[in-house]
Amino acid sequence: MASPLEQFTIKPWGPALEIAGYDVSFTNSAAAMVATLVVVTFFITFGMRKNALVPGRWQSGVEMCYEFIAKMLGDTAGPAGRKYFPFIFTLFMFVLAANLIGMIPWLHPFTFTSHIAVTFAMAFFVFVGVTIIGFATHGLKFFGFFVPDGAPWYLLLILVPIEVISYLSRPISLSVRLFANMVAGHTMLKVFGGFVVSLGALGGIFAASAFLPFAFIVALTGLELLVACLQAYVFAMLTCLYLNDALHMH
Amino acid sequence: MPQLDIALFAPQIFWLFVVFTILYIFMSRSAAPKIADVLKKRQDKIANDLNAAEKLQARAEEARLIYEKSQADARSNAAAVVLNKRDELKALAEAEYQKLSEALAANADEAQKGIDAAKNKALGEVRDVASEVCADIIAQISGLKLDSDTVSKIVSAKTDAATKGDS
Repeated sequence: MASPLEQFTIKPWGPALEIAGYDVSFTNSAAAMVATLVVVTFFITFGMRKNALVPGRWQSGVEMCYEFIAKMLGDTAGPAGRKYFPFIFTLFMFVLAANLIGMIPWLHPFTFTSHIAVTFAMAFFVFVGVTIIGFATHGLKFFGFFVPDGAPWYLLLILVPIEVISYLSRPISLSVRLFANMVAGHTMLKVFGGFVVSLGALGGIFAASAFLPFAFIVALTGLELLVACLQAYVFAMLTCLYLNDALHMH
Repeated sequence: MPQLDIALFAPQIFWLFVVFTILYIFMSRSAAPKIADVLKKRQDKIANDLNAAEKLQARAEEARLIYEKSQADARSNAAAVVLNKRDELKALAEAEYQKLSEALAANADEAQKGIDAAKNKALGEVRDVASEVCADIIAQISGLKLDSDTVSKIVSAKTDAATKGDS
């Protein structure tokens, strides 16, 4: 019986590659990323192939995604955030497609968002990018972001370090949220799948009772689909909020 | 837990960077402008259509006002024509009536004259008849054969006195 964590194992596909001493082998994780890229590109390209004034279902789906993110960005970061739209849209579609592709049963492809290295890399990129935008927009005044308005000086001694720590912990909370949700969901599915298999192997009344964990898997799959969409939304949403902080400070 | 194997970080991050960059370039160069373009076109089309509809509505309203105004004009014109004609006809009727009543009055005068003449004539004849009857009566009663002129003189004197008394 394999461990429920075995699904997260990264296996190399093809030969080991190396650039500047770093291992850059193509793995099942990289394959899932390429699959995500293909799916998202296909979804948008074929959705918009007619460029119809009155959209069909597929085009409506693409436009819905677009307008959803555009509205979210507009509501949180205002018109100044508009030029970062392609990045937020890419981020959302990438994470959403990755999470959903990881949910395909039986085929059970690799879910690369269940790896902290990937989620942290994205979150750290967002963090660094947003901080650069903050300093580029406000200059050194951006340090004022860590000083809450109207607080007396003795409270600032406590509040400023808290603000700095909370700011610095953003990439961690952002990446761990997505990573932990994906790992927990997929592990749960695997655990209950294991129950079904081991109960079925026992035979008789035990095999019949395997119905229960199976029903649970069905329910859990529904929940995980929701989590897959929700986490993609949360990731994009928090990125928008951080962007808003950088653009408008409070 | 395979996630904590630091040796596996580099290939993941490398491929993430490659794939994400490609997707970002696709999104920012092709997908997002294309979708934005379609959405904008639709927005413009809807706005244009609404604008055109508003213009047409305004024109329809204008046409309606013109129609109503012309209808009101026609109605007042018709009323004026009717009023004029009525006055004209009234005047005409009065004139005709006047003429007719004058003619009737003239006729009546003439008739009166005829009647008067006939009456006078009849009265004259009555005198003759009366004098003859008187002469006959006198002859029957007294046997006197009176000259008809004398009798007529007496009768006419009597009748004149009677008619004078009458009138």
